[in-house]
Amino acid sequence: MASITTTLLLHPLINMQLILPTLLSIVLCLLSTVLHGEEAPIQVQIVEPYIELHTGPASGYPVFYVAEQGEWLSILKGRTNWFKVETNKGKQGWVKQQALQLSLSSEGQPVALYESTFASYNQRDFELGALGGTLEGVPSLSIFASWVVNENISTELSITQALGDFSENQLLLVALHHDTFPEWRLSPFISLGVGQLRTKPRANLVQAGDETRSSDLLAAGLGLRYYLTRNFVIKLEYKSLLALTDRDENEELEEWKLGFAVFF
Amino acid sequence: MEIGIRSIFLVACCLVISTSINAQEDQQGQQQSATGQSVIEAQVQRRDINEANIDSENFELGLFIGVISIEDFSSNTLLGARVAYHVSENLFVEAAYGQAEAGQTSFEILSGGAPFLTEDERDYRYYNLALGYNLNGETFVTNNWVFNSATYFTLGAGSTEFGGDERFTLSFGAGYRLLLTDYFALHFDLRDHIFNSELIGEEKTTHNIEYGLGATFFF
Repeated sequence: MASITTTLLLHPLINMQLILPTLLSIVLCLLSTVLHGEEAPIQVQIVEPYIELHTGPASGYPVFYVAEQGEWLSILKGRTNWFKVETNKGKQGWVKQQALQLSLSSEGQPVALYESTFASYNQRDFELGALGGTLEGVPSLSIFASWVVNENISTELSITQALGDFSENQLLLVALHHDTFPEWRLSPFISLGVGQLRTKPRANLVQAGDETRSSDLLAAGLGLRYYLTRNFVIKLEYKSLLALTDRDENEELEEWKLGFAVFF
Repeated sequence: MEIGIRSIFLVACCLVISTSINAQEDQQGQQQSATGQSVIEAQVQRRDINEANIDSENFELGLFIGVISIEDFSSNTLLGARVAYHVSENLFVEAAYGQAEAGQTSFEILSGGAPFLTEDERDYRYYNLALGYNLNGETFVTNNWVFNSATYFTLGAGSTEFGGDERFTLSFGAGYRLLLTDYFALHFDLRDHIFNSELIGEEKTTHNIEYGLGATFFF
């Protein structure tokens, strides 16, 4: 690098020839950044004989243009595993991630776009999901958000609504999850949690003395999670819940649920 | 002797110049091959590809307006919001919320008697979580006026608050998404919300059919 610089400096003519366009391009780039208020798009070069541009981000949308080997593509944005690109001839279209991965970056390196794979599951920061199932034979629905502490442990906040013939139950749980074998695609997990249960009798059953009750909850669970595709996992969970009622006996509840989660 | 020294100098000079010219050519050659001899070489930004730098638009958020036929309680205007996350080009997950106000049953209208429900109990609200599947394609409005579009099917579950109670609800839907631009779409939806109700006597399964028009943004 040093020798190149010295040679360039020793030859003022070539020096000027190279520096002028470079300066010009820097000025242009700065100008476009200022004008657009954002970074200039990432550019890649086509290595394969050609790349097909679709009119939209799915295989169902037709190919309307074919960009040749050696052409440069600016990546404008992405949707699922498709990327919107603009060729240096000004054509805009959508390219599948796999096709883009065969191109070269401006560093001359093969393009390695971050792809959600099973490996990225273990680097996730948080997870959002929904599960459906039964709570004591009554249909129940849950949504949850979990924050990942490390590859084994995560904390989870979930809200469940179980709607029966006699009552409506709402459960709020904070739980600690332990993924036993995070490196397995299908891995068991255990969970422990605390929370609250709110039970409201059905309107047509309300009699004097019947009203909404709240009680504390303890929960222990067992489950399976399966990495499906991209950033999608499937979960199956069994929970045993103990409601600490203010009556003589505590109430034991069983919950089964199946659902999905997306991770980021 | 002098000539000898001069010629040695000359040869030395020639050697130095020729090597330096060769070096220049090599360097120019290298630079050209590195940038692929492209016309726009000067504009190429030198940086690594990181998807975090690429704006991704996987979420879809929007509002809809429509009509819902609440079984036994006539048809009414429905307003709602929807958010979807696109997992792949085909698969998406969706959460929807809608609200309407139920009308009167034919019995209430004909008899002119006491109403079945109070004003509060006539509020109809639902939420549901659904999985959807896209069938992507194109819509030719005329020969030359073409839009990307998708027909989709959804299957979901949720809860409906009606008649003073929350009811477990299954939802089946089909819809049509017309993409006016990459990030703005119009929706036409049909949905059947199924739940058990005992509001007019014996418990039965009710079908509450909704159709609506919506607009969504991808972000």
